[in-house]
Amino acid sequence: MTYQIYTATGCARCKITRRFMQENAVDYEEHDIKAGGQESFSEFYRANRSMIYRDTEGVEFPVFTDGEVIRQGVGAVIAHLVGGNQLAGFVEQSSLHGEWIDGFNISGGDPEFSEGLLRVLDYIKQNSLKIQISTDGRNADLLQSVMDRNLANRVIADIKGPASLYGPLTGVPLDEAELRQTIALAVKFPEYQFFSTVAPLERPDGTVRYLTPDEIGETARMIEAATGSKKHAYKLRAFDPQQAIDDRFRTLEPLPASAMFKYRTAARRYMVLTEIEK
Amino acid sequence: MSTPTVYPTGATVFCPEKCWCGYTIFMGRQTGPVLVDMNGNVLRQWQGLHGFPAKLLPGGHVMGSLGMRSPQHGYQDQTDLVQIDWEGRVVWKFDRYEFIEDPGQESMWMARQHHDYQREGNPVGYYVPGMEPLADGGNTLILAHKNVTNPDISDKPLLDDVIYEVSWEGDILWEWACSDHFGELEFSEAARNAMARNPNMVVGKGKVGDWMHMNAISTLGPNRWHDAGDQRFHPDNIIWDGRQTNIIAVTDKKSGRIVWQIGPDYDRSEALRELGWIIGQHHAHMIPRGLPGEGNILVFDNGGFAGYGSPNPGAAQGHNNALRDFSRVLEFDPITLKIMWRYSYIEAGLIPKMTSHKFYSPLISSAQRLPNGNTLITEGSGGRIFEVTRSGGIVWEYISPYYGMDNMSNHVYRAYRVPYDWVPQLDIPEEREIPILDNSRFRVPGSDWKAEQGVVEVEGTRGYHPSQLCVVEIPAAANNSKSKPKT
Repeated sequence: MTYQIYTATGCARCKITRRFMQENAVDYEEHDIKAGGQESFSEFYRANRSMIYRDTEGVEFPVFTDGEVIRQGVGAVIAHLVGGNQLAGFVEQSSLHGEWIDGFNISGGDPEFSEGLLRVLDYIKQNSLKIQISTDGRNADLLQSVMDRNLANRVIADIKGPASLYGPLTGVPLDEAELRQTIALAVKFPEYQFFSTVAPLERPDGTVRYLTPDEIGETARMIEAATGSKKHAYKLRAFDPQQAIDDRFRTLEPLPASAMFKYRTAARRYMVLTEIEK
Repeated sequence: MSTPTVYPTGATVFCPEKCWCGYTIFMGRQTGPVLVDMNGNVLRQWQGLHGFPAKLLPGGHVMGSLGMRSPQHGYQDQTDLVQIDWEGRVVWKFDRYEFIEDPGQESMWMARQHHDYQREGNPVGYYVPGMEPLADGGNTLILAHKNVTNPDISDKPLLDDVIYEVSWEGDILWEWACSDHFGELEFSEAARNAMARNPNMVVGKGKVGDWMHMNAISTLGPNRWHDAGDQRFHPDNIIWDGRQTNIIAVTDKKSGRIVWQIGPDYDRSEALRELGWIIGQHHAHMIPRGLPGEGNILVFDNGGFAGYGSPNPGAAQGHNNALRDFSRVLEFDPITLKIMWRYSYIEAGLIPKMTSHKFYSPLISSAQRLPNGNTLITEGSGGRIFEVTRSGGIVWEYISPYYGMDNMSNHVYRAYRVPYDWVPQLDIPEEREIPILDNSRFRVPGSDWKAEQGVVEVEGTRGYHPSQLCVVEIPAAANNSKSKPKT
């Protein structure tokens, strides 16, 4: 099947995607919703509504399909064209507009396919977009490569908690050395932001409880130790049970807003600029 | 404000049988908190301590701050809030609100406290029978600053007011930021336009907009409104005022919402028009249960300059567009807004427009209700602290002699009267009357007067009318006053 791509006149990211396809001799059929392609897109949208992301500003273009999968946004589309499903773990829904693009999760994919991601980032960078990537500590070597090749302008470092709790928090254990390496690398990017979610986890006794203030304090201490500085911006985020992937967590009572102050106090012993995300 | 070059300081009036006697604590400018008796004797001076304000706690402890952030980088930020014992030792300290790094200054944690704070046990920070502030524990509410941006207010960086509650152990338990509630504050479009253009930019490195300028916070405490079912006046709720906006408001502690408010405009209802414009006010609070007037709001309505709105001859850009050159102390019902008691130039026996400015402090100042129904008023700009009866008689007066190292001003931010038994370290002092002197006969050494000599009767004169001012009508009360203030 010929690839289908839905675009909109004036959409700069659609132009980037189109240029990539042309440069790589990818056959495609374009439907510009502002130049005769509206009906075609409407039909496609109705048939695939649940798989097409729409935010308050509307549908993000370009929307691509190869007949089997649907990809949205220039990053996701180019990643699919470069590596197919091998790069899927690295790409998330993008939310930034204008000169910034996000949706690249360094820690989400298989590091065996790192080169594919680097190629995607490189192409987007060449087309003058500013790139925001995210990491939770895993794939530190890939982050190193991104830094060495100057392929990201901003890093969002989602530090889940102390390294020893990564297993129960994420399902995948993480070596503390790798986590520290990631943290140390993050501060070398032009912009960076550390944050942690005060999330619940299953404890060794089988109960489910939130991270404690001491554990958040330990996380902050780790950031201080890895970077040699107390003065990085560090945000604490409240956990929303309704957004939980794990069913067990959906029935949890959310922490009251007042409880977050204890976490902030604990974190500020090591990261003096800790704030509660609003 | 015409002030003689030479005038007495210290205690100038004292009528013991009409006063609620005790000690008075205030901040001697660039000196430290000063504790005086009713005759003005200095009984304690905590040298070097800051106090914004200085408050006394039972046991002879004083609260204040060890220092202030460099004014080149901050605006009225106290580095910490401390509790000091009678001997000058720090018994409690909080400073871990924000880590501050100012160029050329020591990097340090700061409380960024300004204008007010309250210790658990007492809602308003002054003596209330049966409600003693805790001196060996408890939480403390602190009014502080935080630098924020909020495009709804202005595109300029802002100096926001925050209230936070800290435990005795130093844990922050609650925090509320005023700018988060901008949309609830009922500013007119003209006010918003003026504020967006100039959110009261203050001097200092990296000018910031001190858009609200809060200067008082206190809890409501138990009160008859809440007893009657009005949840807006829950005892834990916090009443505050912003002098720049002319707003007095109550924040619901649980939800953070603003649940009661007057200002910024005072012409939106008949009741507000009757109340009259409150401008640049200080120390708004609810009179606590146990004091005369409990449940009413007491405020020092400075006058001066404040507000945002349409331009006028006194405010070319609509910034500080409300102007008045006399002060009032108002006690009013928070439901009906009816004035229950007032002290103004009228009660002081002054003449409107001619001498009404003689009771006027455009900045700072306060009013404390005393157990006998009197009110201790700090007319701050001139360093004047006085106790006035319900009928407006002055029964005690003290003028601060502390002009500071620069000798520029003896202003007093806020003074408090405390009972003798809050200072067990001292014997109860002797109370000696200070009769009011006749100003018309009060002379300094070297000044001669011989009024009787040289008087000649002129034929054909028709006497003098009681009021001979061409542009003002003299109220009856002012007609009965002479140069001698009433008691």
